[in-house]
Amino acid sequence: MTEALRAEWTKLRTLASTGWLLLGAIVLTVGVSAAVAAAVHVTSRTGQDPTKLALTGIYLGQTIPAVLAVLTISEEYGTGMIRTTLTAMPRRFVLLAAKAVNVAGLTFVAGCLAVAGCLLVGRLLLPGAGLDPAHGYALVSISHSSTLRAAVGSVVYLVLVALLSLGVATVVRDTAVSIGVVLAVLYLPPILAQAVSDPLRRHLEQIAPMTAGLAIQATTDLRSLPIAPWAGLGVLAAWAAASLLVGGMLLRLRDA
Amino acid sequence: MSEPIIEVTDLHKRFGSAVALDGMTFTVAPGRVTGFVGPNGAGKSTTIRVILGLDAPDEGTALVCGQPYQHLQRPLNQVGALVDAAALQPSRTGRNHLLWMARSQDMPTSRVDEVIELVGLGSAARRKAGGYSLGMRQRLGIAAALLGDPPVIIMDEPFNGMDPEGIIWMRRLLHSMAVEGRAILVSSHLMSELQDMADHVLVIGRGKVLADASVDELIAHASGDQVLVRTSAASEAAGALQRAGNAARVIDGNTISVSGLEAQHIVEVLSQAQIPFSEVTAQRASLEDVYLQLTSGEAEFRASSDRKAQS
Amino acid sequence: MTSSTSPPSRPTNDPRREGFGSVLRSEWTKLRTVRGWVIGLVAAAVLCVAFTFVVGHGNQEGGCTGPPPPGSGPNSPGTNCYTGHPFVPTGPNGEAVADSYRLVEQPLSGNGTLTAQVTSLTGLIWTGPANIAPSLAHTKPGLAAWAKAGILVTPSTHQGSPYAAIMATGSHGIRWQYNYTHDRPGLPGAITNSAPRWLRLTRTGDTLTGYDSANGRTWHEIGTANLAGLPASVILGLFVTSPVSFQRSSSGAPTQATATFDHVTLNGRAVSDVRQSHSIGTGSQDYYPTLGTGSAHRPGNTFVLSGSGDIALAVNPLAGGDTASSSLWFGLIAALIVTIVVATMFITVEYRRGLIRTTFTATPQRTSVLVAKAAVIGVVAFVVGALAAAVGVPLGMHVLNGNGNYVFPTTTLTEVRIIAGSGVLLALTAVAVLALGAILRKSASAITTGVLVFALPYLLGQLLSGSAQEWLFRVTPAAGFDVLGVLPHSAQVDYPSTIANGYYPLAPWAGLVVLCAYAALALGTATFLLRRRDA
Repeated sequence: MTEALRAEWTKLRTLASTGWLLLGAIVLTVGVSAAVAAAVHVTSRTGQDPTKLALTGIYLGQTIPAVLAVLTISEEYGTGMIRTTLTAMPRRFVLLAAKAVNVAGLTFVAGCLAVAGCLLVGRLLLPGAGLDPAHGYALVSISHSSTLRAAVGSVVYLVLVALLSLGVATVVRDTAVSIGVVLAVLYLPPILAQAVSDPLRRHLEQIAPMTAGLAIQATTDLRSLPIAPWAGLGVLAAWAAASLLVGGMLLRLRDA
Repeated sequence: MSEPIIEVTDLHKRFGSAVALDGMTFTVAPGRVTGFVGPNGAGKSTTIRVILGLDAPDEGTALVCGQPYQHLQRPLNQVGALVDAAALQPSRTGRNHLLWMARSQDMPTSRVDEVIELVGLGSAARRKAGGYSLGMRQRLGIAAALLGDPPVIIMDEPFNGMDPEGIIWMRRLLHSMAVEGRAILVSSHLMSELQDMADHVLVIGRGKVLADASVDELIAHASGDQVLVRTSAASEAAGALQRAGNAARVIDGNTISVSGLEAQHIVEVLSQAQIPFSEVTAQRASLEDVYLQLTSGEAEFRASSDRKAQS
Repeated sequence: MTSSTSPPSRPTNDPRREGFGSVLRSEWTKLRTVRGWVIGLVAAAVLCVAFTFVVGHGNQEGGCTGPPPPGSGPNSPGTNCYTGHPFVPTGPNGEAVADSYRLVEQPLSGNGTLTAQVTSLTGLIWTGPANIAPSLAHTKPGLAAWAKAGILVTPSTHQGSPYAAIMATGSHGIRWQYNYTHDRPGLPGAITNSAPRWLRLTRTGDTLTGYDSANGRTWHEIGTANLAGLPASVILGLFVTSPVSFQRSSSGAPTQATATFDHVTLNGRAVSDVRQSHSIGTGSQDYYPTLGTGSAHRPGNTFVLSGSGDIALAVNPLAGGDTASSSLWFGLIAALIVTIVVATMFITVEYRRGLIRTTFTATPQRTSVLVAKAAVIGVVAFVVGALAAAVGVPLGMHVLNGNGNYVFPTTTLTEVRIIAGSGVLLALTAVAVLALGAILRKSASAITTGVLVFALPYLLGQLLSGSAQEWLFRVTPAAGFDVLGVLPHSAQVDYPSTIANGYYPLAPWAGLVVLCAYAALALGTATFLLRRRDA
């Protein structure tokens, strides 16, 4: 396992795109959060969730760890390198696990930086948008347990999305189609939920990976959430585990 | 007939700081197989891509049938090229791969089936190209090159990945097409692959032509019965050998090259004339040696008869 | 040697033009011979239709009159539930309208003129919580900007009948309006005791004319209306109505207006002297939320009328919000994502495999190749989008109707526009992402960018609101979705014309023009780069 980890780490590390993708993930996440924080203007005293607002960038930023995870395996199929890889590491579950650990680790690091950046942006910009103690909103700070939970949860969310994407790509094997599937699985259910009425909407929001997973970001009005924060993250984790499991089985069963 | 069909003039191209082409100039005549040989990175593929209008040179021109490639109408009817046999959409069948190419040139579907027969792809043509072996891909690539029955055929490293049987088939095919009057340009990084097939050889190194000669000339140059003599009195030795009726040439201060005489006779002649010498070495260079010599150093060889010798 | 095997080289003047047909056929062959792409494109259309069904099916109109059962959550349905939508009247041109008001009628036979002075116009706004029926118990003073009080003529009090009316309004001055969509301004200014307004409506055959006056002596004609086929006997009368106010809440608060009419004089042959008071369109089965049913009194020589409702085009969110395209758009987004993947792969796979070199060897005119690819994928995507919409639009409307939803009436022309527009939307997006693929040359980056830019505005729209959201549908590629717009904008109604309510900021084709600009920009950049770069 250690050798497999090392080998996969070397592969990821020596790809120029890895660094750029991770940097891009941080920039996109923090950038979107900053843009939303700058654009928002709040007049009412309730109904807003400053922490959730500060973490908005995750909505778009998650695409990049997802793409990174997809590329980790789909490019090997694209170039035919998968055969070399499987010759070097014939235990396919171990190989997938090594890839998963590496992708998760890199996403974790990038996620920590991105979430920290988002919270900083929220702390600095949101008071200017009317979300300050004078208007009844607490400043964004991880000294609040719910904000800490949202921050840690968002990092975990990114890691789980990356793992889900890795599983999908292991099943699909083609870069383009994998990315299409991952983005559709992430983004279509929340849009669909907007298009239908309760109770279908609520059920959708409870089982869709993105809406359920992002429940972890809520710090106010928890009762109105479709699913409890940690339970929601659990749903996403189930998705990720299922996709990795199916991916692993197929990796083992199919010819390379 | 002797009118060149590919004319490459003074091509220059850089990729960043790396010089790929540095004054590449040559012509390719119809009716023979022209070998395009040089080590990896010498600029063969870049030159072929420039000829095919895929890469733009920084300077210089490449003309096919007197025109830049981009100006050819239905270019596959004039030039057939095999650049990269692996360049296939894996989920498309071989036949459909040829079909879209045929459509782009307004060719009938029947032509596709003709070339499939010609290269012996047979029933495999209706399978997905992703499952092809290296040799099958190569045959499909050749079928694509022959699709337009073109007077010019350019092949970049066509022997890569072919089995011996395939190589023999390929040599025969290229030879027969040259006999039909086509101009064939075949690149390789191994002279040995071309030795028995090419009528003419262009040796490439560092982005330019190092040798441009017929194979006979190159072989004559390389493996004529040359003997090198090392002596401190070079001019006297040359004089003595010439008096003995042999061609002798002073190469530098203390080396002369002698042809038409065996080493033992040279020793006799020099001993009789009491000329001192330190070494007499028979030279038995092969085409491969000339190639290595040419491509490892800056040496340049251009047969003096190059332009005239063509029939 | 002979050159007999060489085909004669044809002199060419403009190979670009001559060979384009064959490039087109070549690219078409490429597209149709990759089974995965064909399956993907068919799946895109099927997905679109399937999701249209799901979305339509997931929208159940209805309500519950009883409270939720004890011990259930905040979102659980109540008891005594029903399905079906309230009645929405249809206007003379087939449009959905609001037609709720208080009327004191004076039947008239033949030609005639009714004159009245409006001496006061005041209003009340409902302030109660959203979950109880509006009543006068929770109100505060306030006059809606489009509260209306004046003289109306109509052949019938059936909702949606043709009409013409001269009226004083809350803050839009005197107005001449007819048949729900036509409007002309008269004297400006609000009605006060010191500034009453005189109104006059004259009927001459089918022609109706509205006048206003500040003093009752000098009259000014505002406009005329020709209601063809007006019967000899018509209803002429005083009316008051007051529309829902969206000023304080997005769900709207009903209002009521009260007007005092003085110097009411009829010049003409009255059918009877009995002046009956009616409340029109304020029943429980009527969709328009009203604050009571209004009233009418005759203190002295004056008439005092209170009314609630509106006489105007129907707007969302009041009428329910379902349209011919409302269950289609989600399916279109799903189809869009699949189309984006296929259209991108159509070129990035060639780069990936080095096949692009073979393509450019066969057709050295790179612009022709790109244009042919764009044409092929564009036409195919158009067919996918148009076919999916052609099935999806009637299916969606059928399912919505079946579920008891009210679907805004649309003309056949509008449906054709939505169907064609869906095709064009997919086609332009396909062309744009194809160009993106030619620019980026990598599937991963091209598809990610394509989906983020072209398919996710709705998600972004959830994060944004108000003007930011509106600009999203104005200037980004998302403007293409404006082609799905069905609901007519009305300047005579104050309502939140937001995307959430089904109102798009641009005219349908204008939205496609914006998307077209993006596609052209991408295609232009791709052409430039293709010509400049080595293959």
